[in-house]
Amino acid sequence: MTMPVETNSPSSFPRRRGRTLFQGCLSWIRENLFSSPLNVALTLACGYLVAITFIPLVNWLIIDAYWAGTTPQDCPDKTAACWPFIRARFDQFMYGLYPVEERWRVNLGIGLAILFTLPLFLPRFPHKLRLLPLLIVIYPLIGIGLFSGGQFGLAYVDTGKWGGFFLTIVTAVFVLSTSLPFAVLLALGRRSSIPLLRVCCATWIELWRSVPALVVLFVAIIMFPLFMPEGLETDKLLRALIALTLLMSCYMAEALRGALQSIPKGQYEAAEALGLGYWQRTFSVILPQAITVALPQITSNFIGLFKETTVLLIIGLFDLLGMVQNAASDPAWLSQGASATGYLFAALFFWMFCFSLSRYSAYLEKKSSLYKNV
Amino acid sequence: MMKRDIVYQVVLLAIIAGVAALIISATQTNLARLNVDSSIDFLWKRAGFEIGQKLIPYSADSTIAHAFIVALLNTLLLACTAIVCASFLGSIIGLARLSDNWLVARLAAVYIEIFRNIPSLLQIFFWYFVALRALPRTDESIEFFNCVFLNNRGLFLPAINPEQGWSWLAAALIFAWAAVYFLKKRERRQSPESGKTWTPGSWSLLIPAVIVSAGILLADVSVQTPQETRFGYSGGIVLMPEFLSLVVGLSMYNATYIGEIVRSGFTSIPRGQTEAADSLGLPRHLTIRLVLFPQALRVIIPPLTTVYLNLFKSTSLAAAIAYPEVVSVFVGTVNNLVGQPVFIMAMTMVVYVFISLCIALFLNWHNRKIALTVAS
Repeated sequence: MTMPVETNSPSSFPRRRGRTLFQGCLSWIRENLFSSPLNVALTLACGYLVAITFIPLVNWLIIDAYWAGTTPQDCPDKTAACWPFIRARFDQFMYGLYPVEERWRVNLGIGLAILFTLPLFLPRFPHKLRLLPLLIVIYPLIGIGLFSGGQFGLAYVDTGKWGGFFLTIVTAVFVLSTSLPFAVLLALGRRSSIPLLRVCCATWIELWRSVPALVVLFVAIIMFPLFMPEGLETDKLLRALIALTLLMSCYMAEALRGALQSIPKGQYEAAEALGLGYWQRTFSVILPQAITVALPQITSNFIGLFKETTVLLIIGLFDLLGMVQNAASDPAWLSQGASATGYLFAALFFWMFCFSLSRYSAYLEKKSSLYKNV
Repeated sequence: MMKRDIVYQVVLLAIIAGVAALIISATQTNLARLNVDSSIDFLWKRAGFEIGQKLIPYSADSTIAHAFIVALLNTLLLACTAIVCASFLGSIIGLARLSDNWLVARLAAVYIEIFRNIPSLLQIFFWYFVALRALPRTDESIEFFNCVFLNNRGLFLPAINPEQGWSWLAAALIFAWAAVYFLKKRERRQSPESGKTWTPGSWSLLIPAVIVSAGILLADVSVQTPQETRFGYSGGIVLMPEFLSLVVGLSMYNATYIGEIVRSGFTSIPRGQTEAADSLGLPRHLTIRLVLFPQALRVIIPPLTTVYLNLFKSTSLAAAIAYPEVVSVFVGTVNNLVGQPVFIMAMTMVVYVFISLCIALFLNWHNRKIALTVAS
């Protein structure tokens, strides 16, 4: 039995009757690349651009690259990427200066975090909202206990030794989970019926949103000790985390405010008609809907936060980029193509994470717009 | 307003006042303990440090307030340059994504996906520590037309040097702008009757051109090209490597966002608009200029404001490679020198809040001006 010929297949190749695949390709090329003199010129210019950027890059990064070994002698010159540098420093890029024998704690903590958050990303998992308090309250406590130690027979590890990709992840996840509750309060405050509260929340949000993250971090590092009563010394990382939480809660509050505005008025009225009080109304009717609507925006805020963590290196906390920069200035590796390879490696790492998150955000957006159309 | 609301507000006010009082008293005791005399007098002290890039005369003998102005101007210069470059690059990328040429559209999409998912600080580091370090030394610099030189010390451009001062040039530019403004106004009035539109080819453009050339002649403008000396190049405008890598890094990163905004601006226009313009017999370039572009702009401006604000804020990343802008000069150098964290942080924050506010207000005003006005 022969397969019926598909005439209306939505493929990018318009297969017309009586044409071979080759002819189809040719006509596709003619229509999409060489349809007018301008397009011919553009295609040739772009082809040239690709040839002069991608080919040398692939050559430098992969084909000519030095792959074997772990010492500076293994890559004799700058003409090609120096992967032995990455191999030699990989553990530092991942864990910073965390003691080698204690690194299992980091792995365990990150593993737990993935285990906790994974159900949130599964569309069919039913208890998402119940999992959220677990993630926001219980997990940070487990994480802090596990990473810094000092109790339960775990050796104490100073936060100054935390670094690398581990620090990036810890910062991003910690700030996300702590800023969400504050963001909810700020967003509700900004839409409150009490004028003073509204003005205060709006001023607070707009003030911090108009200042760069770096300045907020400096405020936390330099000013925070001054604000505190004597004897209350806080750790540098903690101060940075507080600063980022403050900033992030303002950004997320704006995302939530947009979502709250999009909830139809009937939802508020229906909840009121059921006799629910303000908090019950907000937390069991309005917020669950608002968070769903705001999820794509929150995800893209999270991507921004993920990229923003690199700023930590300016105040002397070495995240992934900080460790790469630190390693690239090592004199033993200076004359090799080490620094370029290091930066490209870090770029690839960040890119993988941010790109997959942005795909996820796009998927959420598509899903929510599908709901609206039904 | 309900009675309950008033009670809430009083309680809120009391809480705010209480927290503020606590913080202020703690700060005062801490400052007293650390022996910091809180006064703004430090601004008039001798600075005692050099700044690598200055738009106005400055030396180590100038006051700290003067250094602050220099740093502020550097921030503004960086922000303006990066905003112009990012907008230019972003518009090209956005339009390229809409191209019916498959390769062009794909390349633009790849560009956006690559550069927007890499932290901007990492990109700046790449340009500064890798790309610009790989440039040739001074004696082997890359030349363009024998007047622009690029080497690992920076980019050397020819400078315009008016012998009779800048005032003639400034006056000429102002008059030329006024002439264009009035010509445009007159054209708006007349075109419904004459049926002609004012295009850049009209003879009336000669008027501003004549004014500008008169200004150039009166100011006795000469062009100063960088001259090679034993220690590098002298004369002309020098763009330091820090500045170059910041401009390249920030504009390439933010261009991805602008590209997406421009694309969504143009795709938001209903297809009927193009078809209507076609059926009126408008040529392609006029369709774009008179029909599509003004409508796309309405969709583009609000999100563009956010991108510009973000770009302006990320100029503070310059502190990481020691480009002398507000954060690196003030929070870095001056704070280490005089140890007045309260005033210094407050001044820095005020600068950012004020300029962010200005950008937002300007773009909101512009947005209102071009917004669709429906006859009521």
